[in-house]
Parts: sequence; C-alpha cells; structure tokens
Amino acid sequence: MSRRRILLVYLGTLAGILAWLGAIGLAPYLRSRGVPLGKFIYVCFSPVCHQIPARSFVAWGYPLAVCARCLGIYSGFLAGMALYPFLRGFSTVRLPKTKVFLALTAPIAVDTAGNFFRLWATSNILRLGTGFLWGIILPFYLLTGLAELALKDKKQIE
Amino acid sequence: MNGPKPGLLRPALIGGAVAGILSGSPLFCLCCLWIIGGAILASYLVAKDSPVSLKAGDGALVGAFTGIFAAVIRAIVSLPFQTFNVALLRKFMERLAEFTQEMPEGWDTWFNRGAGPFSIAWFLLELVFWAAIFAVLGALGGIIGMALFGKKTPPPAQGTKNETSQDTGHRQS
Repeated sequence: MSRRRILLVYLGTLAGILAWLGAIGLAPYLRSRGVPLGKFIYVCFSPVCHQIPARSFVAWGYPLAVCARCLGIYSGFLAGMALYPFLRGFSTVRLPKTKVFLALTAPIAVDTAGNFFRLWATSNILRLGTGFLWGIILPFYLLTGLAELALKDKKQIE
Repeated sequence: MNGPKPGLLRPALIGGAVAGILSGSPLFCLCCLWIIGGAILASYLVAKDSPVSLKAGDGALVGAFTGIFAAVIRAIVSLPFQTFNVALLRKFMERLAEFTQEMPEGWDTWFNRGAGPFSIAWFLLELVFWAAIFAVLGALGGIIGMALFGKKTPPPAQGTKNETSQDTGHRQS
C-alpha cells in the first residue's frame, strides 16, 4: 500500500513536470501558428519567470515561455525524476544529504548572485547548465515531502 | 518522544510576506526563487521554535501555506506598482510586437491611458492561479528548509551511564 502511494506521488509529479515542460515548448509553437492560446501560456508563466527574450532560447522563431535558467531548472527536475527510481526506488523515501544539495546549489547561487549584482553577465548556455544541476536534486526533496504527506505516519518513512 | 509541534501559520505568513513583497516589486526579479526562499525562511522559523525534529511533510505543509500567502500579498503589493509595471509591460509588448503580427488591437493606446480598468474577476482568476503555482514552489522550498533546519539532536537520556555500567557488569558476570 505504501509503495503504491509513493509510486502514485511519483507518477503524479512526473505528469506535472512533463505538462509544465510541454507548455514551455508549446507556447512559441502556438504563437508561430497564430493560435491565441500561445499568448495565454506566456501569461501563465509570467509569475515565475521574467521571460526576458534576450535570456531565453528561441523555438519556431519565438522565445520559450521561460528563460534559459528556468528551463535548465525544469529540465534538470525531469532528469532527476528519471534518476529517482534507480537511486531511491519506491519502497521508502528519504531526503538527500545536505552536502549534495549544497554542492549542486552552489553553481546557480554564485551565478545568480554575480548577475544580480552585475558583477558579470552569463551566457544562456551557462544559465541552462547551472539551472540543470540544481534542478536534478529538487525531485528528491519534493517527492519525499509529498510522499510523507500521502503516507502520514506510515513506518516506511525514514 | 513526539512532543507538540509548533504552529505553521504564523511562520508561513512571515515567509509569505517576505516572498510576496519581493516578488511583487518590479525591482527585484529573481523569478520563482523568492517563493522558494520565503518558504525556506518559514521552515526555519518553524524549526527554530520546535522542541522536536520536524519532517519533510511538515516542510511541505508550511511551504504550501507560504506560497499561498505569498500569492495574496504579491497581488496586493503589485497594485501600487501598476504604473511602473505598465511601463515595463509596455517595453515588453513593444519587444513582442517585433516578433508577432497579432498584437491586440489598440494595445498601444491602452498603455497611453494607463493601467486600464481594474477587473476584479481577472484579478481573482490570476490570484487563484498564482496561489496554485506558488503553493507547489513553496512546498518545495519548505521541504528544503526543513531538511536544512528541521532536525534536532536529542539530548542524552539521563541515567544512561548507570544503566550502561550495570549492563556491562551483568554481561561480564
């Protein structure tokens, strides 16, 4: 029963990130086809991303719905989801080690701070890369927390 | 072993206020990181006052509440900035006009008039949508925060030394 619940949490989260990434790529495609839904998708992502065209990759002649860094984070999240079954399985959930989190967070933290305080300007590729590294570790946190809520006091939680 | 857990709402309100104010201001654009940061702050505040170790699930709850509060506060805070936001939005729309031919009719005059008529229905729809998105981001931040700050080292039990020496004595005999 617990394994099934953890698997359901995993599958639900996987569906969510696939839909999220799909929408990011769908926005410029719909815009290139003149479908108004494309603009609506851009608006939906506006609370979580500045969507500055110069900092975004382009597809079908239009910027994606999020910037390069955000795209890296979400892509990394998907990669983390792909790794999760092999590294954790679905019998138990546990949080990653803090050292691993800090190691994967350091590049994006340093890069963001440097750009924020205008110490340097990073290329979109590097923004994508640092975001990707950080994104990989995030599912291991989110799935653990959501699984704990789903399982409540089940003993399978470490 | 399982002591009473601290309340979640007050720390979530504080974290949500910080995240909402910063994300609502057009001056500090760090995308979703404000929401995650606010949720980490909320987790820290919960963990600080907790006599027991807290789990990732607790972080997810306080983080989700933080995200919802942040969405509400962001919506309120961004209202006074609307004029400034309109100027920013105008720049964005002008840039967008370079890429598309299907701009809304008369969009430039809309900016000349100002922010346009305030629509409560649109405001509420946006609020509900942002609350859902921010709740997920907040849950993530809350879990991270609880992983960083939620564990407590239990004090050594009194009388352990005596018990140990007794056990040792027992084993040795």
